[in-house]
Amino acid sequence: MIREHVLAIAQREFETVFRTRLLVLLSVGFVGLVAGVAWLDPPPAYLALSFDLLTPLETLVPVLAFAFGYRSLLGDRERGELARLRTYPVDYRLYVLGVYVGRAVALLGVVLVGLAVAALVVPLTGTESLTAVATFGTADSPTLFLRFVVLTAAFALVALALALLVSAAVRSTWNGLALATGAVLALVVGIDGALVGAITATLPAPDLTASLLAFSPTSAYRGLAFAFVFAPGGVTVPGGPPTVISSLALCGWFLGALVLAGALVRR
Amino acid sequence: MMSERSTTDPTDASTEQPARSTAVTVEGLDYAHGDVSVFADLSVGVDAGSVTCVVGPNGSGKSTLLALVANVLEPDAGTVTVAGAGDRTVGYLAQRPEFRPQFTVRRTVAFYCSLVAGSHDVDAVLDRVGLTPVADRRVGALSGGMVRLLGIAQAVVGDPPVLVLDEPSSGLDPEMTRHVAAVVTDLAASGQTILVSTHDLHLVDRFADRVLVLDRGELRATGSPADLRATAGADTLDGAIAALTRDGNSDGVAVSAGLDGGVSR
Repeated sequence: MIREHVLAIAQREFETVFRTRLLVLLSVGFVGLVAGVAWLDPPPAYLALSFDLLTPLETLVPVLAFAFGYRSLLGDRERGELARLRTYPVDYRLYVLGVYVGRAVALLGVVLVGLAVAALVVPLTGTESLTAVATFGTADSPTLFLRFVVLTAAFALVALALALLVSAAVRSTWNGLALATGAVLALVVGIDGALVGAITATLPAPDLTASLLAFSPTSAYRGLAFAFVFAPGGVTVPGGPPTVISSLALCGWFLGALVLAGALVRR
Repeated sequence: MMSERSTTDPTDASTEQPARSTAVTVEGLDYAHGDVSVFADLSVGVDAGSVTCVVGPNGSGKSTLLALVANVLEPDAGTVTVAGAGDRTVGYLAQRPEFRPQFTVRRTVAFYCSLVAGSHDVDAVLDRVGLTPVADRRVGALSGGMVRLLGIAQAVVGDPPVLVLDEPSSGLDPEMTRHVAAVVTDLAASGQTILVSTHDLHLVDRFADRVLVLDRGELRATGSPADLRATAGADTLDGAIAALTRDGNSDGVAVSAGLDGGVSR
């Protein structure tokens, strides 16, 4: 019954996303922007394409994830749905899981479509070859782009988990909007900035600087992209955050946000 | 004192059966909104298969009591026990029910059906409350009365033995009020225990087996509409309620605030 509950809730969330005009428009906008980055100045190879997309995605993915998630649980609370569900045999943690799964599938679908449209630029316009970006001695290949897609999907899932946490924590639409905006800014620049500020104030060793930066989800995503896409094969990127710490940081943000959202939704 | 909520299976022969079957038992209930106490040591029972109306002035605690019975709120202390088997023992209609406006009526009810065990006929649920003609209409395009009926539809999903309806006819036009009353009457006829709060005393007179009169969190009186009129010496139920909830006049006229104070059907 647990599986059926989660699936039923997830299916309704998925449908909700694509029945909400604003979210459909944002999804189309996301795909258009990602495709635009790729197609307006077509890169000749997958590696260059990944590099071109990295910085825009660091901003666009959190924005889209928060648009998908910040009203999910908040809207249910405002409509009295969370209260109503207490009369059904549904555990609130499973409800949060179902909401997350449904919205995550929708979000990943949009992200993957955007990246797929962008990826078409290479076979259709490019001449696959080594580029200036490939300074770490690697050859271009669709596999590298696939790694980039997987890492971007993981980053999107973390951002959505944080959006659900915001949604569970707030009690009104305006608070939700304000907190979601703040969270996106923090995710895109704030946490990185705060860490860099703290680091430069204390002037620790370079290794420690890189490790601390990995605790920012965006830095962790960027660090993993450099490690697995731009400099694979054990090549170390000078000044880059350690891969293990970046991976653990993303897992920590993901699990922590969902567990906390589950606890807050019961309040 | 810790709060507690439990359900009992009336078919379980190993448990001692009370002389009169009680569907909902509230004992020693304490509840406060922040610093404002709503209930202090409230005890009341609701007979199985009866229609019990909760009446009283605004702020008397009607909606809070219903939400506590429906498990939508948790008591600070005391117990709420709902008799019944199955995985859904209470259906609940909030005072202002809202649903996702993007979905159709049918899809909305189908979602709630998917949350309870067993297979449930969505069309049968819609038919039960008279929503079949608008089954494929978006919730966002429904009138207030239709949304209220949709709220009743989700409340009956899974056939819970107890239905808790918070002002089902509030703010509706006379025709829709009659329709909602007819739906509630049909539900009562099917044997479900119904606990309903309302300001519409005509409705109370029409289908209440028992009335709970609340005032500022206290149970001032309980009995059938006829009992309340007789007790208060009033010609109308309106007059009886007014007399029973008026300051200073309620002492000594409370019929019963105890668990055995119910008037059987």
